[in-house]
Amino acid sequence: MSASARPPASSPGSQRSAFAADDYALDGTLRLDDLIDRDALLELCKSVYGLFGIPVRVYSSEGALLADVSALQEICAYVNTVARGRAACGSTVSAAKSADPGREGDVLHPCFTGAAYRILAIEYDKRPIGRIVLGPFLPVQTEAPPSLLTLDPGVEPERARALLSQMPQAAAETITRIAHHLKAALDLILFSSHKALVTSHMHVVSVKESYRQLEEKSRRLQEAYDKLKELDRLKSNFLATVSHELRTPLTSIIGYSEMLKVGIAGPLEGEQAEFVATIHEKGEQLLALIMSLLDLSKLESGTMTVRRKAVAIASVLGEVLSTLTPSAQKKCVALRVDVADGLPDLHGDPERLRQVFLNLAENAIKFTPKEGSVVVRARCVAGELPGGVGGPLALLSSVPPKLEVRVIDTGIGIAAGERQRVFDPFYQVDSSSTREYGGTGLGLSIAGRLVAAHGGTIRIEDNVPQGTQFVVTLPFPSRPPASPSDRSPGG
Amino acid sequence: MQLNFASREVTMKLVYYGPALSGKTTNLRALHDLTSEESRGRLMTLETKDDRTLFFDMLPLVFRAEPSADGKRHGMSLRVKVFTVPGQVLHASTRRVVLQGADGVAFIADSQNAETHANAASYVDLQGNLQELGVDIKNFPLVIQFNKRDLPDVRSDAEIESLAQRGREPVFKACAVSGSGVLESFFGLLQLTWAKLEAEHQLARSIGIDAAGFLPLVARKIGFTGDVWSLVDSRIGGHIDRVAGGRSA
Repeated sequence: MSASARPPASSPGSQRSAFAADDYALDGTLRLDDLIDRDALLELCKSVYGLFGIPVRVYSSEGALLADVSALQEICAYVNTVARGRAACGSTVSAAKSADPGREGDVLHPCFTGAAYRILAIEYDKRPIGRIVLGPFLPVQTEAPPSLLTLDPGVEPERARALLSQMPQAAAETITRIAHHLKAALDLILFSSHKALVTSHMHVVSVKESYRQLEEKSRRLQEAYDKLKELDRLKSNFLATVSHELRTPLTSIIGYSEMLKVGIAGPLEGEQAEFVATIHEKGEQLLALIMSLLDLSKLESGTMTVRRKAVAIASVLGEVLSTLTPSAQKKCVALRVDVADGLPDLHGDPERLRQVFLNLAENAIKFTPKEGSVVVRARCVAGELPGGVGGPLALLSSVPPKLEVRVIDTGIGIAAGERQRVFDPFYQVDSSSTREYGGTGLGLSIAGRLVAAHGGTIRIEDNVPQGTQFVVTLPFPSRPPASPSDRSPGG
Repeated sequence: MQLNFASREVTMKLVYYGPALSGKTTNLRALHDLTSEESRGRLMTLETKDDRTLFFDMLPLVFRAEPSADGKRHGMSLRVKVFTVPGQVLHASTRRVVLQGADGVAFIADSQNAETHANAASYVDLQGNLQELGVDIKNFPLVIQFNKRDLPDVRSDAEIESLAQRGREPVFKACAVSGSGVLESFFGLLQLTWAKLEAEHQLARSIGIDAAGFLPLVARKIGFTGDVWSLVDSRIGGHIDRVAGGRSA
């Protein structure tokens, strides 16, 4: 009934939070043993015994003896010397132990010797959870009863009377006072420990509930993240497919316009030649853009294959220089390549590395005004641990040197806040720069991803007083490439 | 609700809900003071150093119905555990834990104009937590108490009246500090909860008491000597069923 009367939980989540918060507050499962510390209870009973000399025993409602403070009374020892006495004593004690304190929670249990036990219920939360047994004690002015004197022929009445009078005596109201005092003290202890129990339980339950909520939240975040990742993958796939499909007809456009341009279909005159040249030029531009998109999508989807072989950086940069010199001269920008002597070979894809530095240098030239300069400088630098050199880590692991290539311009510079974002696809510091300088906004992001694919890093520094330095660091192979024949200068 | 046939015990759980500092604990203290010593247990308050409720307050009320002489009615004991939740926003998870298994809720609203928003936010919070526990607030025993009627700058009687007429829940006005309106809200909630449990589980028959006589019995047991229905009828709006056999209010 109790379970069916509860509203059904709506979700597995709320089901889990259904750990019984009210175990200790609502249920009737409180036990005396759970609430009380036995040693402390013993101390309490001892203090009562010390004050009044009345033996005290405390039982839980399950019958366990939780505290026992008593001393063997002379009279008890005496009656136990005779057979009938032992039997009578045994049955009295076991009857007293199990006596039901009844509705009132308070009964007097007599002993055949004339002594008595007082049995009191311990209640908590209006439910009985244990018993206190006080005694044996001698109610005041008790004469040795016949049940003692005629118990056994072995009992000497005089001796029995003398020993009985040694038993602690107490008036009924004294016992009542003691009993109430003990019950009140116990009740206080029970309440305090119940409160402590509930508090600690609630702490745990609340923390569990908070934890459950957090888990639920992070699960939702993870789901959203996974979904976004999947969408991103789909986008890259789409981009790759579309780029590929666009390229096919474009190749025909470029091919046929080139044939027209060179006069295969007959000579062209004046404006005709000019128009065909424009079609061809724009076609080439469009192809370059599509190729960039394709590269980017491949890099993002992780399907770009980077061939690995020994590459001499000097020849890569030499090619970049020869490719870009005409456009630099056209802009009146001085382009210079400066490669340190004796640099070891890299292990990478020469085609892709050329693309990286071509993009960076082209970009530098684009944003450098007339009479400015662009320098591409390659040298070997000491390696750095993540988080900078220094600290004990530097002592523990050897840090291999790296190749550093700086592309230094005297251009318009890039604000510190923009430096990370320029590597995002299609990002341009200032959208107006697209109109002024042209470009697709893909060059840097492709360069950044290619560097990463080679295990390197790229960052931007200021070129004081004016301009920007793109700093690319690439690792040297841990072992020099084995076969020199694999080298391909110039890629 | 928990019903223990072996020990003939019924345990009901009532929860006092509401925004921070609206007087939930004050209600419980007043209820403690207004009930007879034999029927109430110790008020357990789990609070922080600055007297703010940390986990909950709990007041147990225990009534014993004696068996009738003709043996038609069995003896049984009814245990009503009244809880408060911590009102502060940060104790959200504790609130839900305390609300778990509740049979009825008294929503203690702060009458001060400045607290209108806090009341609404707490009500939404209650609704959300009940929903999370699989309980539809529309079919759940709920009374609303507008507390702190004695303060200046509170929402007017007319305003509360019109609010009460628009909603389904019985509304009580109270000043828990002085104890006024406390028993009214408690009896209203108790009767509403009893009527729901009775309708769903035929509780009266299974424990052998008179369904319509439940509230007067409890009132007598906790030491209230007046006419309990007049307290219940002091509500504004809403409907509280007196269950089969009684007059319908």
